[in-house]
This record gives sequence, C-alpha cells and structure tokens, in this order.
Amino acid sequence: MLNSHPDLTASVLIGLGWYYLILFAMNMWWTVRSFKHDGEFRNGVPKAAFWSVVTSLLLMTSAYHFTYPPDGFLIQMPLWFKDFFNAYFSNPVLYFLLTIVGLVFMIAAREWWIKPTVAWTLLNLSLLFMGLSLTDYDFRQIVGKPDNVPIVAMLFIVAFFTWIYFTRAVDNDRRIAEGRPLFEQEDNEKVLVWPDLVYTELICMVVLTAVLIFWGIALQAPLEEPASSMKTPNPSKAPWYFLGLQEMLVYFDPWLAGVVLPSIILGGLIAVPYIDFNKRGNGYYSFRERSFAVTTYLFGFLPLWVALIVLGTFLRGPNWNFFGIYEYWDVHKVEAATNKNLSQFFWENLGGIPKGSGPSDILLRESPGILLVIGYFAALPPLLGLTVLRTYFARMGVIRFLVFSNLILWMAILPIKMLLRWSFSLKYIVGIPEYFFNI
Amino acid sequence: MTDPKPSTNDIFAKIRAKAATAAASESVAHQQTPAAPSAEVSPEEAAVPVAAPKSTADIMAAARAAAKPAAAKTEAAAKLGGTADVLAAAKKPAGASPSGGAAKSPADIMASIRAKAGAAPAASTPVVAAVAGTVIPPVKIDSLQAAGLSAADMIKAARTKTDGTTVAPIALPKVALPSKPLPGKATAGKVKQEVGRRSLLAVIVSTVCTWVVLAWSSMIAASVVSLLATARFMMPNVLVEPPTKFKIGPPNDYAPGTVSTKWQAQFNIWVVNAEVDGSQVVYALSTVCTHLGCTPNWLEGEQKFKCPCHGSGFYKSGVNFEGPAPRPLERVGLRLAEDGMLEVDKSVKFQRELGQWANSSSFVGVT
Repeated sequence: MLNSHPDLTASVLIGLGWYYLILFAMNMWWTVRSFKHDGEFRNGVPKAAFWSVVTSLLLMTSAYHFTYPPDGFLIQMPLWFKDFFNAYFSNPVLYFLLTIVGLVFMIAAREWWIKPTVAWTLLNLSLLFMGLSLTDYDFRQIVGKPDNVPIVAMLFIVAFFTWIYFTRAVDNDRRIAEGRPLFEQEDNEKVLVWPDLVYTELICMVVLTAVLIFWGIALQAPLEEPASSMKTPNPSKAPWYFLGLQEMLVYFDPWLAGVVLPSIILGGLIAVPYIDFNKRGNGYYSFRERSFAVTTYLFGFLPLWVALIVLGTFLRGPNWNFFGIYEYWDVHKVEAATNKNLSQFFWENLGGIPKGSGPSDILLRESPGILLVIGYFAALPPLLGLTVLRTYFARMGVIRFLVFSNLILWMAILPIKMLLRWSFSLKYIVGIPEYFFNI
Repeated sequence: MTDPKPSTNDIFAKIRAKAATAAASESVAHQQTPAAPSAEVSPEEAAVPVAAPKSTADIMAAARAAAKPAAAKTEAAAKLGGTADVLAAAKKPAGASPSGGAAKSPADIMASIRAKAGAAPAASTPVVAAVAGTVIPPVKIDSLQAAGLSAADMIKAARTKTDGTTVAPIALPKVALPSKPLPGKATAGKVKQEVGRRSLLAVIVSTVCTWVVLAWSSMIAASVVSLLATARFMMPNVLVEPPTKFKIGPPNDYAPGTVSTKWQAQFNIWVVNAEVDGSQVVYALSTVCTHLGCTPNWLEGEQKFKCPCHGSGFYKSGVNFEGPAPRPLERVGLRLAEDGMLEVDKSVKFQRELGQWANSSSFVGVT
C-alpha cells in the first residue's frame, strides 16, 4: 500500500543514523572532558561514567537506525506528545508568553544554566528533541525545507552566543563582587595582527567557504514556479530574516509595520549611545552592571525578533493560519478570526448601539482609540518617570527621558497589539480606512 | 644667440629653461594667468636678445615656472641626462664662479636673490638649490641684504636693475628661476596690483576652471541628465498591458450565489453573483488584497477570500473581516453591453468605505 504520508522512510532512518552518530562523537569528546575536569560522585565513581553511558546509548541508537527497517520502528516521537504539543503550542498567546517566561527564566537562573554540564545537557536535550521530531512527517516537511535550515542553525547559534555572554557576564559579576580583577584584565587576549589575527581570519575564511560550498551542493535552492502577479504562493513567506517583520505586518497597517516601526527600530538602535548613561560595563562582559540595558535588548531581540522568526517559519501555514509543528498544513483549516476595531467594541459592545448606527463622524467614531493612543504616548512617559522609572528620569533629564520612554513604549506596542489581537480579535485601535490611517 | 663657445652659466640657463618649460606645460594655474603665454615660449624663442624681462608678468611667469612640483623637476632634469649630470655640472663652475660675467643675466640675479632671501625656501629641491648656489655673485646680494630689503623689494630691485642693463651678455632672459617662487598669495596680490582688470578676470577664470569645480559640475550635469532620462522613462510611448475593458460573457454564465475565479489568472478579477440589499446583482472584485497587494484565494468551503501573505479574510461581498486588511476589496466597473454581454472596465474602481458601491456602474442587476 502506498503511504502518501509516511512517518519514516529508509533514507530518513539513515539520515537520522548519521545524526545520532554525530551526537555520539560529540558526547564522546564530552566524556573525555568530563573525566578530566568533573571529578567524582560521592561513592568514588567518576562523573564521566554517566556520560559514557549516554554516549554508548547514542551509539546503539545510531546503529539501530542504520540497520532496522522502517516498519515498526521503535524510536519515534510518541503520539501523545505530538498531540499535546499541537494542541497547546499552536496557540500564539501561549507561545509568546512562554518565550517571555523563557527570557525571565534565562536571566533569573543564569548562574545555573550556564554551568558547562547543565548547558551541555540542555544542548543534548534540544538535539534529542529535534532528532525525535524528525521522525514526524509534517515536522520534517517544515524543518527539512532548504530555506528553513539556516533558521534551525540560527537557533543553536543564538543559544550558543547567549550562553557565552552569560558565562562571561556571570564570571565577571562574581569577580566584581569578590573584588578580583576582571576576566578581560586578567586574561588579556591581545595578540599580534600578524600572524595570529591574519591566520585566524584565513582559517575562518577557508572554513566558511568550504561550508558554503558544501551547503550549496547538499541543499538545493528552493526554487518555485515562475512568479506571477495573479497567483500568490500559499503560504507566502518573506525571507527568513524578515519573518519577524512579516509577523508585525499581520497586526499593523502596512505604513506602520513596514515603514514607521522599522525606522524606529533603526533610529532607536542609533540613539542607544545617547540614551545609555551607564558608563560601566564598557569593554567587558557584565550583567549586573548593565542589567536594564541587557534585559531590554534581549527582550527586543529574543521574543520580539528571533521568536517571531520561529513563529513565522514553523507555526504559520497556509492562509497564514497557526499550525502546530507536528500538524498537517491543511489549506482548508478553518480558523474563526472575525476582527473588530476598537470603535466597534466601544460603541456596539459597551455603548449598546446597534451595529452600523454608531457616530458617523470619523473623529468622533474613532475618538476612544485616538484618546487611548495619545494617552499612551503622551501621558505614560511622565507617569513612568514619576513612578517606576524615577531614577532614570532623574539621571537622564527631561528630553532624554522622553526619547527613551517613547522608544520603550514603541517597542511595547508590538507585543501589546499581538496579545490584543489574539485574545480579543482586536483589529485596529484607531481605524480610519477612509484615509489609510490605522493604528 | 648661437654663441660658438657658451659659458658654463649659459649651459645652466639653458638647462633650467628646459626644465621650466616642461613643468610649465603641466601647471594648470600657470597657464591661466596672463603671464602664461610668455612662459610657454620655448627657450630658443626666448633667446632673442631683445626679450629681456620687461614686465612683472615676465618675472612672475619665470617665478611660477619654477614653482613646479619637485617630481616634475626631477623628471625634467632626468631627461637632460639625470640629476647626477646636473649636479656635476653645477659643481664644476663652483670653483671659478666669479670669473664669468654671467652674474649680469637677470635670471642669475633673481636666482641669487631667491637663494639668499629667507622668505623663499630655496632648498626645495637639492638640484636647483645647488645650481642656484653656484651662480651667486656675492657682492650684489650682500649689498641688497645690507639695505635690509624684503624679498619682494629685492625682486623689484632686481627688475629695475635688469631693465637698466640693456646689455645682457647671455641672451636667455626669460629662463626659469631656480628656486621656489614667492608664496602664492603674494604673487596674486602683485598681479592684481600691477595688471588690474585683466588679472581680475584671470582670478575668476582660475577659480572656476579648477579640476574640482570642473569635476563636480560635470558630475552634477550628468546626474541631471540621467534624472531627466528617468523621468522620460516613466512615460513610455507604448504600454504593453492587458486591455482595461473586456467582455466576460452573458450574465447567466454566473450562477446565483457563486464566485467565479475563471478570470482571475487573465484579468485579475473575480465575478460574483450574490444578493446585495435584497436584489440579485453581479459585480466584479479586484483580486488585489487591500493590505499589501497579494492575491487572495477563494476558499469555497469557507465561503471567503483568504490572503496567503498575512491572513486577511474577506466575505464573498468583498468586505474584510479578519486579518490586517484595513478595507474591503475594490469593485471594478461592470456594465451590460449592447450585445447582452457583461463588460468589465478595470480603469475605474469603486471603494465601499467611500460609499461608491452604490454607484450603478459597479454592478449589474440580474433577475
């Protein structure tokens, strides 16, 4: 019988066999490292014993993939897990809130997860999760797509660099607390341009070229049918690095999400030296001395950019609907999403005025939204300055604080609008389609 | 001038003259001053005995000729057999310098003045400095310096002197001065002072006709031309586009309650037969999503148009209800032609939010 929707084929199993073989090699190296550095458990057994068991299991898993036929294969992502994941993680509200929780956890528990053993375990778990997920047909369809490979790579790279940052920062924070010299001062990394730097650059250049050539040969360019203005691919996705921007466009009018918000992102980044009055943390890693700056940046980068790229890549399917990562991309998936403007909520739901008979004057009709927006941008900064951000207000002065607080508020409108759309089907806070002005 | 037995100083003067001419042809500023023509005269022509330096212009020309870049000077010198040759020649007469009556040549006088005058950095190139040094008759310089005169005064004095002495034993009056001339400012001032209007024009010409000004003006001119070409490009002579008016068959091709997508690929329209405000009408909707211009798909099962780019959804009527699209789809013009066919006119649009769907050109009533 022809299975048009096969979970596993022989080639997939062989590929996964190689995958686990690489994992095996990585963990073998780790076992050696653990034997040298990690010491022993209380009963005298070296801690590397645990890793040697993991390593041997991985080798057996790999061998099993290479030898066993696809039918009745045992190592698969369990169905209950897939159902659970599909049911809860295709929900954008939960997804987004989880990324926020993850960020908070990452910062709060930074001293725990940067430990080499913990970080290595987390890496292994995420790789194992991916390996198991690859046994699912629909997951493979999305993750295995040549355009999506860089996104998966990016996730691991982002995690790696975040780990480096927090490792160094936590180390330096400890040094500062104990009064020891900074890592950067103690372990001065200054080297000569020739030969050290030039050789490093040469090696990087050669390796990168080799990787790109291998990539270009191994993964075919995802070409599609000739472009036509009459037919838009479904789903139609931006290049992966712009998926965050495309996701923004779902919640805002094009001029706002496509012009104003990107300009504010760029302008805000340019303005950082003007806003940032904190002179510490210059030239060395530190979290405690720059906690606000780092947290703000990570919030803007991880949940609002990287997580939106992931959402756009893996969770958005045909008709731009949400799909779980193990869910079939059904073109006819029905998703009720009747959106309403704030003015409709205000006049019809709150005011009890029947539909269509609200105020005919545009400004009066949209006055709730207009007042809300003006209040948000005009009244919130002084309020924040007098309450939560009082110390910042005192140290920055009026103009600098206003610039700063407005940039923060602009950054905040994206998650606010997203959550409002998902939770209340709110389309626009101010909706004046007559003059192409929608917020 | 063909003296059968030229003195060492004669030879020097010739060498200098050649070098100066070579450099003068490269110096732009030099060519644009009124003094230029005289400076461009080749040494042979200049050798006419009458041509003793008479005007300031001549002296300035000579001075400017000397103000050539060191590289050009060396190059010119090399043409004459290399710097070493010139130096060797220079050294030779150094022993017997007072013997010749060469000191009477105006060029020599100028050279000596320059070499001694502190204001003029004579040592700009070693070759020239050496040459200049050899021909100085000490007496004259000493007398001039003793008088406490400035460099400019000395030049003036030298000029008067030369004008007085009509008998110049060597007829190479306009040769280049060996060392650097006066600073440019002083030069310009002098020219203006002495030549008046002609020189004002010259100053203007020399300011306008510099390479920087020329380069920028040509770049701006080229940009303006290309901008005009771009503007012209926006108004093509011929537009290859599908017709905006076309016939799509009789109204009964479109069954009540259906959305026809058969013209989507060809003309970018959907034809809908639906009930609007109690009467059955046919209307044509443009397939351009009002959010960012993608082409939505008609989903029969859900009875809606759904855009694949950002998820905007529209009812069969074209009214937006989900996703970010801010306004309904646009209707295009539709009428019943004289032959009983429906005729679409895509050149007109009807927007609901502007109340234009009530316009009778936006739909055709069917019974």
